[in-house]
Amino acid sequence: MTDAVAANGWLGRLRPAEWQLALPLTLAFAAFFLAPLGLLAAVSVFDDDALTRAGFAQWAKFLGDPFYWSVVGDTLGLGLMTVAATALVGFPLALVFIEASPRWQRILLFVIVLPLLTSVVVRTFAWIVILGQEGVLNRAIVALGLSPAPVRLLQTEAGLVLALTQIEMPLMLLPLLGVMMRLDPALRDASEALGASRWRTLFRVTLPLSAPGLVSGCLLVFASSTTAFISQSVIGGNRLVYLPLVIWQQSLVVYNWPLAAVAALTLLVSVSACVVAISAFGRRIGGAPVGVPAHG
Amino acid sequence: MSLRINRRGFLAGTAALGAAGLAGRPAFAKGSVTAAIYPGSWEEAFRGIVAPALAKSDGVTLEMQPLYAVDQIAKARAARGQPTFDVFVLDPGPRVSGIDVGVFEKFDPKKLKNLSAIPGGLADEWGVTIAAQVVGIAYNPKKLPAPTSWEDLLKDPWVSRLGLTGFQTTFGTVSIIEIAKRFGGSETNVDPFFTEMRKVLSKVATIGAPQAMAGLFQQGQCDVLYTNTQTVSTLKGRGVDIEFVKPASGAVAFFTTMHVAKGAAEPENAYKYIDTVISRDVQAALIKPPWNFVPVNKEVTLGPALPMKSLDEMAGFVRHDWSKINPLRASWIERFNKEVAK
Repeated sequence: MTDAVAANGWLGRLRPAEWQLALPLTLAFAAFFLAPLGLLAAVSVFDDDALTRAGFAQWAKFLGDPFYWSVVGDTLGLGLMTVAATALVGFPLALVFIEASPRWQRILLFVIVLPLLTSVVVRTFAWIVILGQEGVLNRAIVALGLSPAPVRLLQTEAGLVLALTQIEMPLMLLPLLGVMMRLDPALRDASEALGASRWRTLFRVTLPLSAPGLVSGCLLVFASSTTAFISQSVIGGNRLVYLPLVIWQQSLVVYNWPLAAVAALTLLVSVSACVVAISAFGRRIGGAPVGVPAHG
Repeated sequence: MSLRINRRGFLAGTAALGAAGLAGRPAFAKGSVTAAIYPGSWEEAFRGIVAPALAKSDGVTLEMQPLYAVDQIAKARAARGQPTFDVFVLDPGPRVSGIDVGVFEKFDPKKLKNLSAIPGGLADEWGVTIAAQVVGIAYNPKKLPAPTSWEDLLKDPWVSRLGLTGFQTTFGTVSIIEIAKRFGGSETNVDPFFTEMRKVLSKVATIGAPQAMAGLFQQGQCDVLYTNTQTVSTLKGRGVDIEFVKPASGAVAFFTTMHVAKGAAEPENAYKYIDTVISRDVQAALIKPPWNFVPVNKEVTLGPALPMKSLDEMAGFVRHDWSKINPLRASWIERFNKEVAK
């Protein structure tokens, strides 16, 4: 970088042609995302559903009610559990993938992408068949003698996390594979040649270098699972209440748009806060190995 | 080998195609109508039966927008006088909301040729009834003895196999009101339902999203639930073990109505469409499996799958006043979330 460019800052580096190219997207973003978001915020500061009296009554109602706080907590908790499960299952799968022959990689990639090719509604209803009282899983549990009677899996948080783990898995694996495929195998060989065990190589070399992919995967899975209205309502049923259900009920069933807007903004803000936290955490674990000597 | 077409042959061919096209499409000359329709079986039934009938009788093309009742009102409200469809199809709750928020054009029943074929009182200044729904209890006869009343749902052996849904849907709301009434509640007081439900809540098999209930029943996730006769007939047609029971206090009936949207682009065609829907032949076709509608046209012969022998029996069914229910529904939904969920 030359001194002149550095002095001009980032604006100096952007030639006019570059920002002009970004203009259509910027305008579309402003018109179709920022403006509606502003509208949403405006709707939330009305007291009544006919939008005639401005006020913060709906915010007060939402934030003053412990029930809604627990809904926010459950929604974020669901996201974190799904992220943990997809990462735990997805990372070993990615390790298998990068070691596989090109032929197997093609087959694996097809299997990984397959869930994205079927509609989320179909995937979700398929999970009802798997998790139900007379579903595949329960028949196996009873046949193996693990439990005398079918266990309740549908409409439990565990069942929902299990289903979301499969449904959201491509979102974890695709960015993870993108990064891990570019890792230089020589680094792993060097680590082992220098005497590190395979576990040590995994935790000190492969994992930190894969961190950017892992973090992007976590972000996508988190944002997608916390807002997965169809899966949450069909598999979770109405026993489990999450923010998307509250938004749907308030906007479409009882027409209380201000409260729906409050819930929608709360979802946006709380999910964004977690996304920022996850990426900050990712930068820390991803940044550590660079220039830091490994201590014995 | 090459296909050779000379200019004269080409012109003659195109002219013939054009003539055939014109002859086959007289409907476009009379325009179209856009109707909101419930997604799923209603949409399929209307595509298969109503659309061809309307094209034949009036030459009008039917376009459909699949939307649930509540979505239709929300969409019409958001459109502010520029609706994307001409005709609503609604349950009683959303119908009252629609009147309140003013998204309907005033309705003139006299414009319907088939008005005399439907029982009195089913058409008014806002719209006309085109089908009925009868709600009661459905159960799996292979797994459970027949329940006889609403209160049975909260007793063993039924409660531990019960599939519960909340106030989001019309059938859910009316069923919960009926349960509440058996324990001293009323149309405007569902407290007894919550009190009684709390005692047995841990036993309840399933608390589901309404759209998932049929699937949950089929999967054996629950063996007794409240639902309408149409769902029962449809599941039965698929070979599911399911029977409908009229509770001792009476089954609940409510009407599905059609309304012309305020600012509709094709108001005249909207009347023609509604007239077609209530015509004898269309209603007779709609009551057959797999559609299983409950008709409103008196000239239609009722089948054995329906819970009544004549439409006059409908007068004896339990009815509700949605202008009283609507204002309370938001608080009931919130209470259901807080007390029954989790």
